[in-house]
Amino acid sequence: MTVLSITDLNVTFQTEARAFHALKNVAFDVPQKSIVGIVGESGSGKSTLINAILGLLADNARIDSGSILFEGQELTRLDKAAMRDLRGPRISAVFQDPMGALNPVLSVGEQMRNIQYRDGRSAAEKDARSVEMLDAVRIPDARLALGRFPHEFSGGMKQRIAIAMALMMRPGLLIADEPTTALDATLEVVTLDLLKDLQAQIGCSVLFISHHLGVIAELCDEVAVMFSGEVVERGSTQAVFETPQHDYTRRLLECDPANQRARTRRLPTMQDAPGSFVPVPATPPPERPADAIPLLRVRAAEVTYRTGPMFRRRSILGVSGVSFDLHAGETLGLVGESGSGKSTLARATARLEAISGGSIAFQGAPIHGRGAAEMKRLRRDISMMFQDPIGSLSPRMKVGDLVAEPFRIHRVADVDLAAETTRLLSLVGLGPEFADRFPHQLSGGQARRVGVARAIALDPKLIIADEPTAGLDVSIQGEVLNLLNDLRERLGLAMIFITHNLNVVRHVADRIAVMYQGRFVEVGAADEIFRAPQHDYTKTLLSANLAGPGRPA
Amino acid sequence: MSEAASSPPVSPAATSDPWRALRRLLREPLGVFGLALVTVVMLSAVFASVLTQYDPTQISPRDRFLPPSGAHLLGTDQLGRDLFSRVLHGGQVALYVALVSTAVSLVIGIVLGLIAGYGPRWLDNLMILLFDTMKSFPTVMLALALVTIMGPSLTAVMVVVVLVNVPGYARIIRTQTIAIKTSEFVTAAQSMGASNARILAVHIVPNVIGPLVILASMDIPVVIAIEAGMSFLGLGVRPPTPSWGSILNDGFTQIRDTPWIAIAGGLPIIITTLGFTFLGETLRDVFDPRLKGRS
Amino acid sequence: MLGYAIKRLGLAVAIVSLAMFLLFCMIYLVPGDPASVALGPRATDEMKEALRLRMGLDQPIWVQFWNFFSGAWTGNLGQEVLSGRPVLNVVMEQLPYTLALIAGGISWSVALGIPLGCWAAINRGSLADRLVGILSVAVIAVPSFVIAIYALLVFAVTLQWLPAIGAGEPGDLGDQLIHLILPSLAVGLGWVGYIARMVRASMLEVLEASHIRTARAFGLPERMITYRYALTIAILPTITLLGVGIGQMLSSAVFAEIVFARPGIGKLVYDAILTRNFPLVSGAVLVTTVIFVLLNLVADLIVGALDPRVRSSL
Repeated sequence: MTVLSITDLNVTFQTEARAFHALKNVAFDVPQKSIVGIVGESGSGKSTLINAILGLLADNARIDSGSILFEGQELTRLDKAAMRDLRGPRISAVFQDPMGALNPVLSVGEQMRNIQYRDGRSAAEKDARSVEMLDAVRIPDARLALGRFPHEFSGGMKQRIAIAMALMMRPGLLIADEPTTALDATLEVVTLDLLKDLQAQIGCSVLFISHHLGVIAELCDEVAVMFSGEVVERGSTQAVFETPQHDYTRRLLECDPANQRARTRRLPTMQDAPGSFVPVPATPPPERPADAIPLLRVRAAEVTYRTGPMFRRRSILGVSGVSFDLHAGETLGLVGESGSGKSTLARATARLEAISGGSIAFQGAPIHGRGAAEMKRLRRDISMMFQDPIGSLSPRMKVGDLVAEPFRIHRVADVDLAAETTRLLSLVGLGPEFADRFPHQLSGGQARRVGVARAIALDPKLIIADEPTAGLDVSIQGEVLNLLNDLRERLGLAMIFITHNLNVVRHVADRIAVMYQGRFVEVGAADEIFRAPQHDYTKTLLSANLAGPGRPA
Repeated sequence: MSEAASSPPVSPAATSDPWRALRRLLREPLGVFGLALVTVVMLSAVFASVLTQYDPTQISPRDRFLPPSGAHLLGTDQLGRDLFSRVLHGGQVALYVALVSTAVSLVIGIVLGLIAGYGPRWLDNLMILLFDTMKSFPTVMLALALVTIMGPSLTAVMVVVVLVNVPGYARIIRTQTIAIKTSEFVTAAQSMGASNARILAVHIVPNVIGPLVILASMDIPVVIAIEAGMSFLGLGVRPPTPSWGSILNDGFTQIRDTPWIAIAGGLPIIITTLGFTFLGETLRDVFDPRLKGRS
Repeated sequence: MLGYAIKRLGLAVAIVSLAMFLLFCMIYLVPGDPASVALGPRATDEMKEALRLRMGLDQPIWVQFWNFFSGAWTGNLGQEVLSGRPVLNVVMEQLPYTLALIAGGISWSVALGIPLGCWAAINRGSLADRLVGILSVAVIAVPSFVIAIYALLVFAVTLQWLPAIGAGEPGDLGDQLIHLILPSLAVGLGWVGYIARMVRASMLEVLEASHIRTARAFGLPERMITYRYALTIAILPTITLLGVGIGQMLSSAVFAEIVFARPGIGKLVYDAILTRNFPLVSGAVLVTTVIFVLLNLVADLIVGALDPRVRSSL
């Protein structure tokens, strides 16, 4: 018995210049009471597919051929009103962005009542049903929650409220579009468990879209892999993940850093032929005398913020009592969830933030309290990479000027700027033709490479990389990590690598520091931490770390 | 699915290629219409003395209140002056005021906005209070108060325009500067050791100036309205000098008997403000679509 | 919410104080001797001296400022030069006419602007949308006094549908309303355009938001999505815009009052300038500024009351 059956679906977008074939002969089934996953990187056509099923395609999109059969009805032939009657009671959806999923000016109660507008029941009865649903998604004080507005809830709660709304009318099919991508790892697990429970309870089917292979492996019975508008492979999750048939699937699985169990200094990328990848053991950091002065010595560092409205301003400790040493050629991975103080610590280490206590010393000399000239000298030695690959490049400067900027800032006169720019670009794998492009003409991966080229321009001794692979597709993530690892070894750089992704950090870092509420709760060798975590928070983080398919979590 | 791909606070829009933007402008009927109107107004102001043989200030009592005819295209006023000639020469006054005072407002606004946006917090708060106060005098009240002090003159008009425009411009520059100041590419420049002067000159100014110039060009109709309005009230240019506003005032007092004077004073104002507005709107859409809907 | 109101009120007080200071500087410090300015070139030295004493001009500057400042806050704006009546009374007599004019202008702009903007947003890209767009821009561009004079010429002089001058018979509400039609249209027409554009733009922005997509995914009817889910958000910036717009409407009101020979603050100040009635000018400017700041405050508080995000975060 299938709930949804899609056959040979073709969708085209008509833009001013040309027609774009977004879905090509897409076909798959969603059996009753099952969870089917759809995997694909950005641009694979996932969003178009969802909108086609929901009847919410943009005006310039057209279904050319094919059929979407839902509970025996042909959706491609339904008019707008009939389609609207299906949405809510029969098909419903939860989307990625929990912050924007709910209407900001209407109370949760009103929004939940409005969804039941077709039922001829009284407002009190509708509210009772809403409370029931909020209880089911474990919102505390459900009755009080009805009178609250979305901004009064945290991101995870908002996403749970959105799930409650979506399942309110007991639909036959729930479409979940990356519903947990924006949530922290621990919240992600909780939300997925909840979704699974509710699905079993209500007895609906779920179409679950994600780029996260671990989540799909954990949750789905069947999976369809999408690549540039086509379903390249489908089958039971186990079969697809264990014996992938299509080249793309195989590469995708290999590229997921979670699938490289052993620490490897090179991750597989899309360029590698499937199956050809051989893990390379990571080289240990160079030997050093026991009394060597560390490159960076942080002692009891503390950063305070002042926030809040004018008359109730209070101090918040962003970072408190953090101490660590970092030696030349060594990489420290800094792990923690959003708001844990990772980025603040990084900014303080680069003196972009003042410290309110403790000390940070570079090559034995404190960095705070330096004069302008000394500080400028230090900026050559410490360079930073920021989270947003495109946003960290000045939008009206060409790539060539961006890469040459450190030379101009520090008035390095004795180099041939053009030649140096070409050299740096080739070092990060970009051709000289990129020098004439603007940041918005680059892809995320290319922009990231430009950022790397700029960061190593003046031969720094320490690179601080703040989430350098966040927002990049898995395949590109591998390339960027390989690049960083290569350069680090060749140039003997020390690095602080900040991330929330545990699977990434183990391939990059020699040591890992776990941060929680502004403090280091655990510091140790990377493999040690993974093998035997000591602190409770580290354990939670690791158990929440959905590992890749084919590997026990 | 990209959680980090927040869009930068500045637009990557087509400003990098002015020729492409111009070609797109010429594809928009409204933009072409606006451009045509503005061109006509500009040319007729520049070549005013070639296009008409009448002196705009020449009084001839015998020709008072003549309706439009072949000899006097728009008729004559209560002193027998040719209205067509007065309208053309009035255009010189209007455009002079518009261009000079807009340029002055832009320079002052940018400097103040950068200081408020990039300077210390207390200075920012103080300047915002000052801008808000300046903006809370209704334009006409400001003009009236100022003219009582300075006396009616073209300079008084320009001072009013600058006082009216600068707070708004400075605020826009300030807001944008603050948004860009905390963006990653500026933090990146700081982390590389760039000086404040370099950050302002290389990273901030080029990104804030474009939208403001477009918005300022859209304010030209407002400036023309201020000049005409003040002259209409007798607070602008002194009498014999022609101005659209004073023609309108002459016509207004005689509106029942000789409506063509009021029509002659109002038409150029309508044509010019519409022309600049249509042109400005289209330019903005072509150059920087993100500004749409901002007033 | 209370904290927000207090904060906004504090800002309003600061702005009015600063406005008083600037006004004081402008009028008392810049032009040299206000007594001679006020009395004109033909006044004798004795007359000037007498007026100086009466205006307190013989005292040190900071005393003068303090007198002006403390007087202004307690409603004492000095006396009119000619009749000797308190300025505040004279201004307050004229105020209702101007407020009625502005209320009329706001009514036009809201009643026409919001539906037009909404309609254009829903039919985005259609001919109607383009037409509304061009018309909005056109009425914004043309100065209100040109609209006033042309309206006077067409509807009052040529067609004679509506009365040309005055504010109508006192006590006869119908007559007063008829007299209000043309002037308030001249004041509000530009704002019909502003509001239509603003509503359209913010509607389009809100309709793109992901919570609207979510609402559609729950199958809510399009009417509910448009009016309850989108318009309630899209209207918020419009209210703020209107608050600012009142300043411009006050400007337009001056012209409308002169063109249509209506009583009101604008006419008062205009005549005061012609007769060099100095304290009256500064008093009226101050009162309009206070009104403008107050109405802005009201607009912000309305937004605060309507938007739960503002309500609790400030």
